[in-house]
Amino acid sequence: MATTAPTVQPDGGAGLPPLRRLGAALREFVRSGAVIRWLGRVGAFVPITALGLILLVLIIRAIPAIQYSGLHFFTGTTFNFGSQFGKPVHSDGLTHQPGEIFGALPEILGTLVTSAIALVIAVPVSLGAALVIVERLPRRLASYVGLFLELLAGIPSVIVGLWGALTFGPFIAHDIAPAIADTLGKIPGLTGFFGGSTGNGQGLLTSGLVLAVMIIPIIAATSRDLIRGVPLLPREGAVALGMSDWETARRVTLPWVGAGLVGAAVLGLARALGETIAVAMVCGVALGNLPTNLYGAMVTIAANIVQNLDTAILDPLDVRAFAELALALMVITLLTNVLARLMVRRVSGTALPVGRGL
Amino acid sequence: MSIRFRTVCAAAALAPLALLAACGSSGSTASSSNSASASAAPAASSGSGATTLSETGSTLMFPLFGTWQTAYSTAVPAVTITSGATGSGTGVADAATGTVTIGASDAYLSPAQTAQYKGLINIPLTVAAVMVNYNVPGIKAPLNLSGTVLAKIYAGKITTWNDKAIAALNPGVALPALKIITVHRADSSGSTFLFTSYLNAQDPTDWSSSNIGTTITWPSVPGSLAETGSGGMVTGAGGAKGSIAYIGISYLTKTTAAGLGTASLLNKGGKYTQPTGAAINAALATFSGSTPPSGTQSLINTTAPTGYPIINYEYAVVKTTQPSAAVASALKAFLTWTITTGSDAKTLATVGFEPLPANVLTIAQNEIKSIKS
Repeated sequence: MATTAPTVQPDGGAGLPPLRRLGAALREFVRSGAVIRWLGRVGAFVPITALGLILLVLIIRAIPAIQYSGLHFFTGTTFNFGSQFGKPVHSDGLTHQPGEIFGALPEILGTLVTSAIALVIAVPVSLGAALVIVERLPRRLASYVGLFLELLAGIPSVIVGLWGALTFGPFIAHDIAPAIADTLGKIPGLTGFFGGSTGNGQGLLTSGLVLAVMIIPIIAATSRDLIRGVPLLPREGAVALGMSDWETARRVTLPWVGAGLVGAAVLGLARALGETIAVAMVCGVALGNLPTNLYGAMVTIAANIVQNLDTAILDPLDVRAFAELALALMVITLLTNVLARLMVRRVSGTALPVGRGL
Repeated sequence: MSIRFRTVCAAAALAPLALLAACGSSGSTASSSNSASASAAPAASSGSGATTLSETGSTLMFPLFGTWQTAYSTAVPAVTITSGATGSGTGVADAATGTVTIGASDAYLSPAQTAQYKGLINIPLTVAAVMVNYNVPGIKAPLNLSGTVLAKIYAGKITTWNDKAIAALNPGVALPALKIITVHRADSSGSTFLFTSYLNAQDPTDWSSSNIGTTITWPSVPGSLAETGSGGMVTGAGGAKGSIAYIGISYLTKTTAAGLGTASLLNKGGKYTQPTGAAINAALATFSGSTPPSGTQSLINTTAPTGYPIINYEYAVVKTTQPSAAVASALKAFLTWTITTGSDAKTLATVGFEPLPANVLTIAQNEIKSIKS
């Protein structure tokens, strides 16, 4: 663009034809950096405006459903789109189908419990992987393993879902679930949750494990970078004091980056809570079904929304109920983030997600 | 160089804003369905001579629609047709909100949908059936099943294949002590609507009328499977021993290949029938005389002893007001073609569908005539 620069007249382009004068003024405006300044200002407000607008629209849309369901939304266990071909009824100023009941407890619990299962499995695995990559593997091998970890994090969730539905789910149903039921399910007191019908590969356990697979690379890659940042000196000191590798990791390395590790886990949790399509493909989309054990078909908020929006969008009240569901999911995610920040502050006194450097 | 870089930056920064604005406007038109012409704008484009007709919906109809798409693009190259197997519910929703030109549906529009979306009509294009398939190894002859037994199976009241109620319908058949795995659709589906209509028609006590629809709250049956699309049903049922599923007739070759049996279903005439062409037409004959001008009619649970009890009109759900004259005329020409040239015996035989009876053909043609721009 070297040719454009000399055409700018020192006198601001006065005396030129109007169109060229406008062009010159424009170029001057661009050269002065005002464009970048304004873009910066606009850009800074886009995220906060977007968050505010989304919340606002969801709340406005959800009001009729909130009035219709009341507290039953959080306590009810029946979610029914009503009699779709029945005679429409009127209530709260809306025309909708008879028999509509929106009890979202099963999907709220489903969202939380699948994410909890994922986290319980993913955190130890990720920390182990991160420690091994940093401290045990030869540097060349570690860089390859790390590369694969990052590739794994980039796999689109629909592919993980497909794998979960076609390969992993049946494998769980035939091999893993019966094994768990035969061991943990035999322990008195745990029989209710771990025993019973082991299902067909769609449900709580499969959803939790698929989510774990998706968040392990995120947590592991973040932890690896944090652990790599732990200085050598304190670790050498620990070894000099006669600590074993495990003691060094437990007493020096991991506490050094404790806050960052909580941050890494929260990053994974946020992904798990909002993950939609992979869970929708393996959870069984059992509306209003509270699973009686670890293997039962269930539903999460996100899975319900993605699978049934086409039905809901045609009914004025259904779509309002979906707005309320979306609002609930958003509040859960925001609360999780706030909670995590408080935890991080307790661990370290600094903000997310940095470790304490030297 | 720097100016171009800034331009790119500006474009990149403004793109989300533009999207936000676009989303805002489409959201408002979707909610206020009266502004039909505005929300229909993205449904079809007719720039530079070529017209595009878009379709989404029924996976039952998708194999036939694919055949039509290929044949019609050869016959009329100026019209481009896009199609997507999304489930009937999405087809209706997309047509209602103006996202697509044609929504394919196994289910007719509900009274509420007709009331809410003025000018949305369902045009019968062809006649289809829904099979009940089972994965029970060792059973050679087709099993007999009734709506009552199926309702009890899907309600979790009958849980094994050698249950007395199933044995009573199948004297002399050695039924295994195999657990029944119910398979149902996870997405919004016309097949679900037809199947649940049949359950309710034969057994209103075990299957209430509030459980008829394209998306329903299934009773909690331990070990049940939810699958997306007719194809997903075939895969799901094929992979689980002891499974039972309801799948559109157009997937017959696939269900056979997956080793699934096709049940003979009890009709209101008291006989068990297979979903053959003759049985579909026999059932159709008891209904087609009373098909209303709107085309909206349930063809479930025929009284004809030789008739198959779960048949239906496959509908094209369209808006009578199209965004432009070019789209309207292309749509009318295409729909007319589908029920005439497109419905020849050879084409329909590949998917097991039957053509419309003469009087319903006239009804469909009159509905097509009502499309304008």
